Amino acid sequence: MGQYIVRRLLQAIPMLLIVSIFLFVLVNLAPGGPLAQYARHKRLSAERVEALRRQFGLDKPLPVQYIVWLVGNDWMPIDTDGNGITDSYGTRKGVLRGDFGFSYENREPVLEQIMDRLPNTIYLMGITLIIVAIVAIPVGILSAVKQYSVFDITVTALSFMGQAIPEFWLGLILILVFYVSLDNPFTGGSFLPGGGMYTIGAEFSLVDRIEHLILPVTMGVVGWVAWWSRFLRSSMLDVKHQDYIRTARAKGQSERKVLYKHALKNALIPLITIVGIDFPYVFTGAVVTEQMFSWPGMGRLYYNSATSRDYPMLMGILIIGSGVIMLSNLAADIVYAYLDPRVRYQ
Amino acid sequence: MFGFGRFKRLALVITLVLLASLSFGCAPQETLEAPTEQPVAEAPTAEAPATEAPATEAPTAEAPATEAPTAEAPATEAPATEAPAAEPAEETSVTILIWDNPSEFHGYNVGSGAEEAMGELVMLSLSEVDPDGNIYPELATEIPTAENGGVVEDEETGEVTVTWHLRDDVYWADGEQVTVDDVIFTWDAMQAAEVWSMSADATKSVEKVDDFTMVVTYYYPNPEYKIHFGGEDFFVFAEHYCNAEEGFYEWNCSRQPLSSGPYILEEWVPDDHLTFVRNENYYEEGKPYIDKVIVRIVPEESVKRAMMDRGEADLHYWPAENNAVSYQEVGNGTKWAASPTERWIMKLFPNTKARGDEETPHPFLADKRVRHALRMAIDVDSIINDIFLGFGKPVWTEFFRPPYNSCGIPRPEYDLEGAKALLKEAGWEDTDGDGVNECHGCLYAEEGDLMTMEFAIYAEYGETLELAQQFIAEEWASIGLQTDLQIIEGAVLWALPEEGGIELSGNFEMDMWDNGYGGYDPTAYLWDYYYYAEETPWNLANWTGEEAEKVAALIDELYTTDEDYCQEVCCEIAGILEEELPAIELFSTFEQFGLSERLQGVRPSAFDIATWNVADWTVTE
Repeated sequence: MGQYIVRRLLQAIPMLLIVSIFLFVLVNLAPGGPLAQYARHKRLSAERVEALRRQFGLDKPLPVQYIVWLVGNDWMPIDTDGNGITDSYGTRKGVLRGDFGFSYENREPVLEQIMDRLPNTIYLMGITLIIVAIVAIPVGILSAVKQYSVFDITVTALSFMGQAIPEFWLGLILILVFYVSLDNPFTGGSFLPGGGMYTIGAEFSLVDRIEHLILPVTMGVVGWVAWWSRFLRSSMLDVKHQDYIRTARAKGQSERKVLYKHALKNALIPLITIVGIDFPYVFTGAVVTEQMFSWPGMGRLYYNSATSRDYPMLMGILIIGSGVIMLSNLAADIVYAYLDPRVRYQ
Repeated sequence: MFGFGRFKRLALVITLVLLASLSFGCAPQETLEAPTEQPVAEAPTAEAPATEAPATEAPTAEAPATEAPTAEAPATEAPATEAPAAEPAEETSVTILIWDNPSEFHGYNVGSGAEEAMGELVMLSLSEVDPDGNIYPELATEIPTAENGGVVEDEETGEVTVTWHLRDDVYWADGEQVTVDDVIFTWDAMQAAEVWSMSADATKSVEKVDDFTMVVTYYYPNPEYKIHFGGEDFFVFAEHYCNAEEGFYEWNCSRQPLSSGPYILEEWVPDDHLTFVRNENYYEEGKPYIDKVIVRIVPEESVKRAMMDRGEADLHYWPAENNAVSYQEVGNGTKWAASPTERWIMKLFPNTKARGDEETPHPFLADKRVRHALRMAIDVDSIINDIFLGFGKPVWTEFFRPPYNSCGIPRPEYDLEGAKALLKEAGWEDTDGDGVNECHGCLYAEEGDLMTMEFAIYAEYGETLELAQQFIAEEWASIGLQTDLQIIEGAVLWALPEEGGIELSGNFEMDMWDNGYGGYDPTAYLWDYYYYAEETPWNLANWTGEEAEKVAALIDELYTTDEDYCQEVCCEIAGILEEELPAIELFSTFEQFGLSERLQGVRPSAFDIATWNVADWTVTE
């Protein structure tokens, strides 16, 4: 297993490199550019805008820009003042040495800004994922066990609704009901906060933190629970009809033991795939939820960077997201082997 | 099969890992550190400067926010520094809602409006413009004029020297005194970064005379000299605090500013909020009246409106039109405030050249009769009333604000039949009955060519502009012009040509977007849009030719401090623009805000940002 993990990690390096090339090309080929704001407001002369292009290195061919992004420019002479003449060596170290560059928007280091938002996103999305697991797994199991019961039909209907409801609409409705319309009977204020992570200026309170989580978490949970529970239901139904389940029953084991000891364990294995796919959201955030609930996380940072064509910031977020996806897939593979003795990696 | 115990152990591990995420949320938020050190030097009492001063009288609690500013110009009044009648017993605070994280505390880099608004809270400049367009001194003791000896023109060389005197009672938050060194330091840093402005082009030198006096020499009269070191953009940064080597755009002092203004930045949680606390040593005694200003970054418009309804916020920055209507309704705990004069003009930009080709005229937009016909076919009143819900005023010239007042140019009529007739005269008529005009003797297209074009707007404005675009397209369809509607991101529309930009490459046919000028002098704005010369051929209206050259020559005439002459020249320009229509002005919109009823003293201005007079704001409970 150890060898397998090392091998997969080594394989991930060229894969990440290839992904980074694709991402870099796609991000840069998209029409538009980071200097558009200057053109409209004309705060800088056309010459100065051109100088900025040179300073940012945007005048270089794309392969050169990529190499600078990857390995830095402290080994090559660059045009620091943008006058068209290379005058000194650069200072960037490149992503391989942990320098993700600076944001075109505010000239601050990319990594610093990502690290500002990442904990907020992990906090929101991590809790969302926990609640999804807590709700979706029992619901999926019960739906399968009580197939075609009132409970199953109700859950099926709700699942379809959950998957069909547009996320932003759900967010608006939650705000309208729980923030705008309903009052807290004790305080007279809104029933639940409509946005933010905590009450600004108030002393730390766990209750306050939880209150601020309820609506954004609910917004994220609804779609995920619908998806996970449907998936687990199907998986459970498949397993229920396997030979080994029949064998277990023939051996005289109780229905409860058959279901929860033999069926459930195996039905959960495919769910690991889903968790592996969804886990990166814990790090990359949910754009709509964060926009709707003014959550200062990665999703908003990504959205703002995309609209302003802040290439270094976009690349930083995308490459970190890609890395997390790869690690998440690796973790899922490892968990398969851990859970299912039949799976062996050479 | 595997043992259930294994699964339980795994589940436990995963749960623990995810639960650890809670700790992120419960940990104190990372904030940008802000300098909060209070002044150590004893600040002298604020003495009233002898000359011009702003109308900064503390607003009474009863004064409605929408009330038009009083007519008393601040030209010769001394600043009112009296404190409000009753000292608030408890800490007062207001919450401002903005849409995006400001990138820093000046607007020269991004300039979305949020940056300037934050800058006004903590920084000062030499002069400011009030909502009536009057310029008043802030760090300066008076506005230099020829009458007070502050402006001297050398008749031989044409050079103009302007002498600024600074107040000697203003201190940085760390106790250092604000001097001309700081002003010159900021100016030099901007020049090193090649920040462009009309004043930058005109400036020969900025020299210190003593700690509180400096002389600016211009190569020629600079019409905006009064706000050269002020207005909505310029803030004075502390020389001893900023690291000049970092460069103006990069320096940290514009993200963690040292305050000289009414507030001190206490906390900045990016994408969440900024908290400002009262600067106890602000130079205007007793001000600011509100102890704390919290700026919350809330991107979703409906959430902002809900927060205002809930009484959790006091100022909704630039509300959408539907929300502005609800703010106008009485009795819901909120109110509406707008600038006395309009700020933004919604304009159409017809490209008189073929797309991306500076040499070939556009098949029909090159003909000014067509441009006039297109304007004639737009029912501006319906756009304002039905789409923008009444929040706008018809505009047909760049010179719509006082003192020009449209220069006597009559408002064009909305006349579909007249438009059709004009198109026919220009050789465009629908003879085959398919609803689209064909060229029959037109000036710049082949016989039989169809009258079709792309019509673009920018995406960020939102639904109202999209509706306006559709409405205009329908009206043009009724006179035989078929349009292909496009909604383009701002980052694409105004990008550099080599990045696929549309405007700068002239790769468009008809665009619609809004802009306008703050301050009081339109010269720089006119230069941006209409100045055409051999050496600077490009302008935002993509307009060239003989008439454009005439206008350029007139714009050159505006470089004078003779305001009456400027007015005369502007109206001459207005006449040419009206005849040629390189841009079609449709309507203007106000600078407007939603306010809580408790917040008093907010005076929206077409010339400055919402927080320009934040020190004068009060709250009533």
